[in-house]
Amino acid sequence: MTSKSMSVLMAAGLMAAGATASGPAKAADAEIVLGAIVPSSGPFAEWGRTNTATLQMLEKQINDGGGINGAKLRILILDDATKPAQATNNLRKLAGDDHVLAVAGPLTSSAAEVTFPVANEMKVVSTSQASSKPGVAKLNRPWAFRNTIDEGVLGRTTVPYYKQAFGIKTVAIIFDAKDATAATVGGKIMPGLMKDNGIEVANANDPLSFNTGDLDVSAQVTKIKALNPDGVVVSADYSQAVTVIREMKRQGVIKPVVGSTQLISSAILKAAPEIPIVAPATFYASMSGDKPEKFVKELTPVLRKISGLPPEIEPSMYDANIYEIGSIYIEAIKKAGVTGKPEDLETDRTKIRDYMAKLAGFAGLGGPIGFNEDGDAIKAFYIVQGQNGAWQSKVRGCSAPDGKQGC
Amino acid sequence: MLIQQLVNGLTLGAVYTLIALSYSLVMGILGVLNLAIAELFMLGGYFGFAVVLAQLPLPLALIAGMAGAALVAAIIERIGYQPFRTAPVVTPMLSTLGFSIILQNIATNIWGSDPLQLTDEVFAERFDIGAVSISAIQLTVLGATIVLVALLAFLVQRTSIGRALRAVAENRDVARLLGVSAGRITLIAFMLSGSLAGAAGVLIGLHYAAITPYIGVEIGLKAIAVMVVGGTTRIWGALIAGPLMGVVEVMTVAYGGSQIRDFVVYGFMILILLLRPQGLLGGSRRNQDQRV
Amino acid sequence: MTMSMYYAGIFADVGILLLGALSVYIILSTGQLSLGNAGFMGIGAYLTSWLTVMVGLPLTPSLLIAAIVAGIIGVVVGFPALRLKGIYLAMATLGFGEMVRSFFLNFSAMGGPEGFHGMQHVSTGTIWIWAILVLVLVMVLETSQIWLEIRAVRDDETAAGLVGLNATSIKVGAFGFGAAVAAIAGGLFAHHHVYIEPGNFSFERSIDFVLAVILGGSTVAPGALAGAVILVVLPEYLRFLADWRFAAFGALLIGMLVVRRQGLLDRALLRLALPSSPA
Repeated sequence: MTSKSMSVLMAAGLMAAGATASGPAKAADAEIVLGAIVPSSGPFAEWGRTNTATLQMLEKQINDGGGINGAKLRILILDDATKPAQATNNLRKLAGDDHVLAVAGPLTSSAAEVTFPVANEMKVVSTSQASSKPGVAKLNRPWAFRNTIDEGVLGRTTVPYYKQAFGIKTVAIIFDAKDATAATVGGKIMPGLMKDNGIEVANANDPLSFNTGDLDVSAQVTKIKALNPDGVVVSADYSQAVTVIREMKRQGVIKPVVGSTQLISSAILKAAPEIPIVAPATFYASMSGDKPEKFVKELTPVLRKISGLPPEIEPSMYDANIYEIGSIYIEAIKKAGVTGKPEDLETDRTKIRDYMAKLAGFAGLGGPIGFNEDGDAIKAFYIVQGQNGAWQSKVRGCSAPDGKQGC
Repeated sequence: MLIQQLVNGLTLGAVYTLIALSYSLVMGILGVLNLAIAELFMLGGYFGFAVVLAQLPLPLALIAGMAGAALVAAIIERIGYQPFRTAPVVTPMLSTLGFSIILQNIATNIWGSDPLQLTDEVFAERFDIGAVSISAIQLTVLGATIVLVALLAFLVQRTSIGRALRAVAENRDVARLLGVSAGRITLIAFMLSGSLAGAAGVLIGLHYAAITPYIGVEIGLKAIAVMVVGGTTRIWGALIAGPLMGVVEVMTVAYGGSQIRDFVVYGFMILILLLRPQGLLGGSRRNQDQRV
Repeated sequence: MTMSMYYAGIFADVGILLLGALSVYIILSTGQLSLGNAGFMGIGAYLTSWLTVMVGLPLTPSLLIAAIVAGIIGVVVGFPALRLKGIYLAMATLGFGEMVRSFFLNFSAMGGPEGFHGMQHVSTGTIWIWAILVLVLVMVLETSQIWLEIRAVRDDETAAGLVGLNATSIKVGAFGFGAAVAAIAGGLFAHHHVYIEPGNFSFERSIDFVLAVILGGSTVAPGALAGAVILVVLPEYLRFLADWRFAAFGALLIGMLVVRRQGLLDRALLRLALPSSPA
């Protein structure tokens, strides 16, 4: 390529970028703008792309229904490429240049840890659809929220069910040391929960871990096999957990597996169908109920039309979460007197924040939703067991603090 | 358990050896680190999976993986190496990095970022010999590594192409004077290394039965470490260094603790380099001068 | 006029990357390619954060202390590095970087994989004051006697030794200086994002530094600035390509190298712009 054609290409690119970046100069002055940060490229590209489709579906549903108080809804979606630094700049752009009323995202805890402080600085609500590392929103009040439940809270219901369902007396724990959430769950939360439930951790003084991206975990699984526990805790994102579970199957370690929300996916059900997997979920594609079934029915064909996604793709928990976040923002706008006018931007954002802080009983896909003072969701969750290719709901729990109704 | 862990280590080592040989072919002959080999490995795996998932026979999967990867390697050679023949070696290395990025993006867009899995494991029968359990696919990987290395040895030592490769490695200009077409040879070197990486991708992909567009990243780094420990000027160094590093890694996990695995493995690599800066089988110190 | 927060964020990223790129440039000038400078950046980030959060020192002395400590570690690394050349050295530095990351992953006193919080946010302006200072320092050094010696060592170590230049102290010193600059990048990174975790200081970060130097111009210090700007700004401009953003970036990367392999800036170009720049 000659340098001349290079410069032409770059100029064209810059012009196109400038056109898209300069924001709306459209005639419609009645417009409600929301922002979203999703990882559409990089190792979690699939989540970002399904999230994008979900938000676009929500936008269309709202606008087809007449908009919000007559105004058109626009959701600006930016890709953070799974890089936390890009997520922070995305929020700065959405809040500062595009004047959005609220932001859905970022997805990962690593991105949330650095983006939430910026949300506080710029005074705009940012709600993560997937971050479940304990304490992330708590450190960044009042503008940070998460439509997820702290893994420690979920574990308190997961582990007792696991123990009772399979008669577990000893476990071995293996976790992804490079993933902050997985390492916290596997290194701190699960050992504590096991102790609380009278389950012995067979490898208590010899933590077993691997790194994100590892292909071979044969050494670790051989050690697990030698310990012969009743069950195995696999604390890792499902794409890594698949590696562990397949190795377990290969080496003949057919023991029930338990983990965090990170395991919830359809991919993990294919890894070793004969190994039961127990994990908490706030949503799964085969959930029963009017709202979830309608959601799945509408979203699935949209997802399956997107190129580059697996043909049997189904809506995931993160899609459900971000759909709920968008819906909560829309309800907040409708009911809190948000005007959408440029001069009211600061007060509008504050109204949304206050509405969310007080939220209770919002009709989510899996049950009512509210937020606690840490910014995490008070919502129903389900302990699901995956076996032979499907998730089955076993226990319904609620993440409200003990003694309070919320779900 | 010790023997079982040794078997684990040797299997992992075979994986490293295959990929390290791919790096070594281009490094030893052209002095260039082709960072895209990790992605050729990944693509080989995907091509192999595509064939297996379409219910076609296994040898076809191997051919598809090798041929596909060799083709992509040829493209990389033309665009990513040829323009930089006379540049400092860091430049072609970074251009292959550009290819890495492109290939990862393309793989993500075609197959998605979630793991692609095989429903039925291939060659899944296990053999239990005493306390040790080894699967048929593991034996296949070990066996194939030996066969591929032997084939490579034969190619490099006994054929005219091999002679030409070694001539270019020694001295490009003299080789040209002697009638060796350097451009053609570098293309062959790239394609050969690509097909080796592709073969590794198919075999290893079938062994672990799940791949993502990013499986090449971590394993690529370790394989480069293996190549370096073995000595980049002699491709057989990878044959010793691969199993060595594999066993060190597995033994660290088994007896030292998984947390310190990377620390120990890279520390071990640095130790070897400090004791023998040209690698275990590397040539004399004079040979390691690279244009940086 | 206050700058858009978005641009302020971009500028902060450029400033930090500039410092990281300079750390690689300094070492590269002596003919050594370091693929592990993210390790020094990590040491700087964690040490600076510990000093400001746990000990309570203000930012500037914390940065300086961290730079000195990292510099000493750089010198310690530089000595065994003398035995290695080319790809062997590059791999050893890569190994060093990975060892540092692994260390912090296990260092539960500062969070381990959960990361470390508590830093005070520092403005883009502060970041750039440091970045400009270091850049100017390097540029001034380039006009001095020391740089001639560095060039001599890089071009032909044996000959340099024959005319009495101490190649050892130059090469080791470069490692120390580079490490110190990377540490400052790390400290500023930590206080810009107010949260750090070991994953921030991986091989990918080290490669970003090298990429910035090579793209921007590996023969002159301002090349690091040009490269940092390219690497941060280009992905933003490529957003319109959505799913193909990374592939386009990779293609442009290759294209830029093909068109101008010495990088954007080189001495000839600088001589046109700044008539008083060194030969």
